[in-house]
Amino acid sequence: MSKFQPIEFYKNKTHSYELLPLRFEALDDQSYVVTNMAGEYLTLPRDKLSKLVKHQLTSSDPDYINLRARHFLVDDKTSIAKDLLAIKLRTKYSNLSEFTGLHIFVVSLRCEHSCPYCQVSRASDDKVAFDMSKEVADKSLDLALKAPAQNIKIEFQGGEPLLNFPLIKYIVERAESLRGTKNIGYVIATNLALINDQVLEFCKQHKIQISTSLDGPKDLHNHNRPRKGSNSYEKAIEGIASTRRYLGKYSVSALMTTTKASLGRVKEIIDEYVEREFGGIFLRPLSPYGFALKTKTYAAYDAEKWHEFFVEGLEYIIELNRRGKEFREFYAATILSKMLTSTEPGYVDLMSPAGIGIGAVVYNYDGKVFASDESRMLAEMGENKFQIGHVLKDTYEQIFLSDALLDPIEESFAYSVPMCTDCAFESYCGADPVFHYGIYKDFVGRKPDSEFCNRNMKIFKYLIKRMEEDSFVKQLFTDWAQPNA
Amino acid sequence: MELQVFFDKAIYSAEAIKKAAYRFIDKFSAVISENGTSYSCFIKFPDKSTDAQAARLVDEFKKEVLDQDLRESIKRETEGVRNLILAHTFSKAGLIKDE
Ligand code: SF4
Repeated sequence: MSKFQPIEFYKNKTHSYELLPLRFEALDDQSYVVTNMAGEYLTLPRDKLSKLVKHQLTSSDPDYINLRARHFLVDDKTSIAKDLLAIKLRTKYSNLSEFTGLHIFVVSLRCEHSCPYCQVSRASDDKVAFDMSKEVADKSLDLALKAPAQNIKIEFQGGEPLLNFPLIKYIVERAESLRGTKNIGYVIATNLALINDQVLEFCKQHKIQISTSLDGPKDLHNHNRPRKGSNSYEKAIEGIASTRRYLGKYSVSALMTTTKASLGRVKEIIDEYVEREFGGIFLRPLSPYGFALKTKTYAAYDAEKWHEFFVEGLEYIIELNRRGKEFREFYAATILSKMLTSTEPGYVDLMSPAGIGIGAVVYNYDGKVFASDESRMLAEMGENKFQIGHVLKDTYEQIFLSDALLDPIEESFAYSVPMCTDCAFESYCGADPVFHYGIYKDFVGRKPDSEFCNRNMKIFKYLIKRMEEDSFVKQLFTDWAQPNA
Repeated sequence: MELQVFFDKAIYSAEAIKKAAYRFIDKFSAVISENGTSYSCFIKFPDKSTDAQAARLVDEFKKEVLDQDLRESIKRETEGVRNLILAHTFSKAGLIKDE
């Protein structure tokens, strides 16, 4: 007997199919994106979508097979779709049980740079006032080691954390002696101006990674990041080179901040990263904190500008790849891995339930615990809504079961928020209660006016459109979506 | 500028119209009321809007009401399965029986 069923078996003569949960959104005038519960998508013309819902689609329709294969409908030929969807969905949510993987230690608020976009650092020599004490460090580390996650990352931030390097040494050595079976990775987020052999030797010994800032070509970087001597760029470039010499090429990564001065210069910024032999760039949106909170006009105007900036950058990167230069854009890659795989990359802004406290937690220099990096920035501007405890006063349970953490997570869960609940992109998107609280004074915001929603929805549509119209882009994006590739 | 749009009650639900109007909350305000056999939607645009802009938005709004109607049909048919899949997803063992 043949292994295969005769062709007749696959032909569904009647329209006896059952719809599985699906959501849709218009992509343009003609076509719609349809997503299933696991976030897999298809595009369809509107009349097809309407036929599908009205049970008028026949099994001979080419879209029918696709819809069945991707779990948008079940008929008498399929029985496992519901189980498969549950498994895929469970994989996506499984990171929730890896509660709090990233622990940020703000070891000093002091900094020798005075970047206008930074809300937190202080140009001060007052170590007592702005450095983390050993007592706070001990208690913070105890909390970090209590988190259920098996793999945790400790990231040292500032200010400029290297201004308090002795404390970094102290924390790493203590963490190594107390970690038990946990795996701990360490990162120092530094502008590299103060990096030296002694620091690098220590990093080598403990496999510490370096994350730095590179805003683009020299004039732009130095404009964005002023310091005495106007040599932030030179220091960063030298620092990148010496870090690579000591720790290996892939031990250092760089982040850029988009400012008004960056707009219109995305290609030069990317060229700088290519020239420095980075494998990709993370085109980060303009920060809404500070300026945006004071001038309400900022959001609408700059969301538009930022989208142009992002698209121009992404198109340029696609072209580089077409010419054989492997290079990726990490924001798109994060979204693509949600779209095209069952993994959840765990990027705090794009998590729902919100990633605050779950994806990351911040131990501030003064002992205050914040639910995310943005939360502490908000606090520096006088809004303490997301302070979830204090290391010297509260227990682990008091901090992680506090209303200050759980209320925003519960209230902002996109699955039940107006508009998000019906949105085809909900499984790619995030809740970001900190952003919405900062701007709208509630955890959810009204999505039609939300810059977060507008920005992301545009990107989701754009990425899908590009994959649909260009097979090279589809292949490229599929590669980017693989988390470890 | 103000405009009124009507939807047949036999065909559309108030819920679909409300959800569609919510999506335009940044572009116009809408007051929905019942009016015999139809729902009437009283739309007010910001002062600076032109006729052409208003006409385009009303067009988009009508399409959105159709989409919301489609979403309701999907929800009606799939609510049960959706809950079942969620139960499977969040149950530790994943062994809840189908029926
Ligand atoms: S924020 Fe906007 S894009 Fe994201 S899920 Fe909600 S409605 Fe969709």
